[in-house]
Amino acid sequence: MKYTPRLPRINDNVTPGSPVREFLVLMGGVLGLILGIYIILGLMVDFAVPRISLETEQRIAGYFSRLTDTAEKHSTRVAYLQTLTDQLKARCAPLPYEVKVNVSENQGTNAVALPGGAIIVFSGLLEKMTSENELAFVLSHELGHFHHRDHLRAMGRGLVLMVLAAFLFGSDSSTGDLLSQFIGITELGFSRIQEKRADEFGVSVVSCFYGHMTGSTDFFEKIKQSEDPSRFGRYFTSHPELEERIRHILDYGREKAYSFGCLKPLPEQAEHRIKVSTSIDEPQPTLSKPRN
Amino acid sequence: MEQLIIFLILIAVGYTAGTINEKKHYKAIEAREQAFLIMPAVTFWKASMTNAVILKAELVSGNAVIAVDYFKQFLAGLRKIFGGPVRSYESLLDRARREAILRMKEAAGNASIIVNVRIETSTIGQSGRRQNATCVEAIAYGTALTIER
Repeated sequence: MKYTPRLPRINDNVTPGSPVREFLVLMGGVLGLILGIYIILGLMVDFAVPRISLETEQRIAGYFSRLTDTAEKHSTRVAYLQTLTDQLKARCAPLPYEVKVNVSENQGTNAVALPGGAIIVFSGLLEKMTSENELAFVLSHELGHFHHRDHLRAMGRGLVLMVLAAFLFGSDSSTGDLLSQFIGITELGFSRIQEKRADEFGVSVVSCFYGHMTGSTDFFEKIKQSEDPSRFGRYFTSHPELEERIRHILDYGREKAYSFGCLKPLPEQAEHRIKVSTSIDEPQPTLSKPRN
Repeated sequence: MEQLIIFLILIAVGYTAGTINEKKHYKAIEAREQAFLIMPAVTFWKASMTNAVILKAELVSGNAVIAVDYFKQFLAGLRKIFGGPVRSYESLLDRARREAILRMKEAAGNASIIVNVRIETSTIGQSGRRQNATCVEAIAYGTALTIER
């Protein structure tokens, strides 16, 4: 019998089947798993946060001292912000914290609340301020974060996220980076609720302090005009869309029957001082150029 | 967000380009294998061929490096979480091995048979600390015999 060589009909070394299907199944599994763990751990964080004592928080705050150290400490604008915050806190927002305000030279229009009672205000935000009420709202908003202890919540969830990604994929992996990004987007959704609550707190403090809520929405109105609408639409904005926030603040004010009144201008000297970093020790310039 | 978009583009490009390349490659492999059917490549290293006169015996080798596409790599990364056969790398290795054998046969010229064939694989082009393979290399080598008929 003559042997005729022939190629094998099927390739046993390659499993047939669609890789796309495999991809979808695995991806769904991973996302489901991570989301499940994340939600459970997130709930645990929410459970633990109200039980963290102030002493523990102070200890945690030590890790953030790097951030507060770089901010300027002794300038007139810091002193002014500190006085305003202290007054707000004393009269309308009783918090167990000793709140320290600092200014960071940064063009971003933002302010952050850090563990331990530190508020960092970016100079970009200060430049946009036109009235004390407006500034008081921003500070009260951050006080609201302390009141709800959102800064700990955010930190706890962020930690959970990082641990999860590192645990699943190793500390340096593109798959891990990507998934943590994906969850990061979801995380913004959680923070919206917190922002809303902080806004409510902020407007109630402003109304208590000045007797009316005028000026509370000024800041949002301003950044609404200056910033182009988020490039990627509604889902990806960290702060709920400004329109929505303004509406919510107004609705909340109406519900609580807060009145409207006159804006209090920034203290005459602070008007320019607040916008330029000047040390207390230095002599003040007699004339300042008007800023455009 | 930008990273997510880049990722999706990479996945899409990886999948389309990878699939097209693979189909083309398999077509070429099958056609060449058909043409080389008359030259067997076997793993014997000892066989008695009492009547054969060996005119020539020489070492022949062929190697091939196939790169993994982004889609396959990501899929393998996912597979590593749950375990099981990494199907996305199967075709990669299969192509590399068969291509290497074909190149070895091409190097053998008019030989009658290649004996004592060995195939080895290794990964090359690992970048940085990331442990993922980026390319797979297969090398096939053996002794090409030219036998008087």
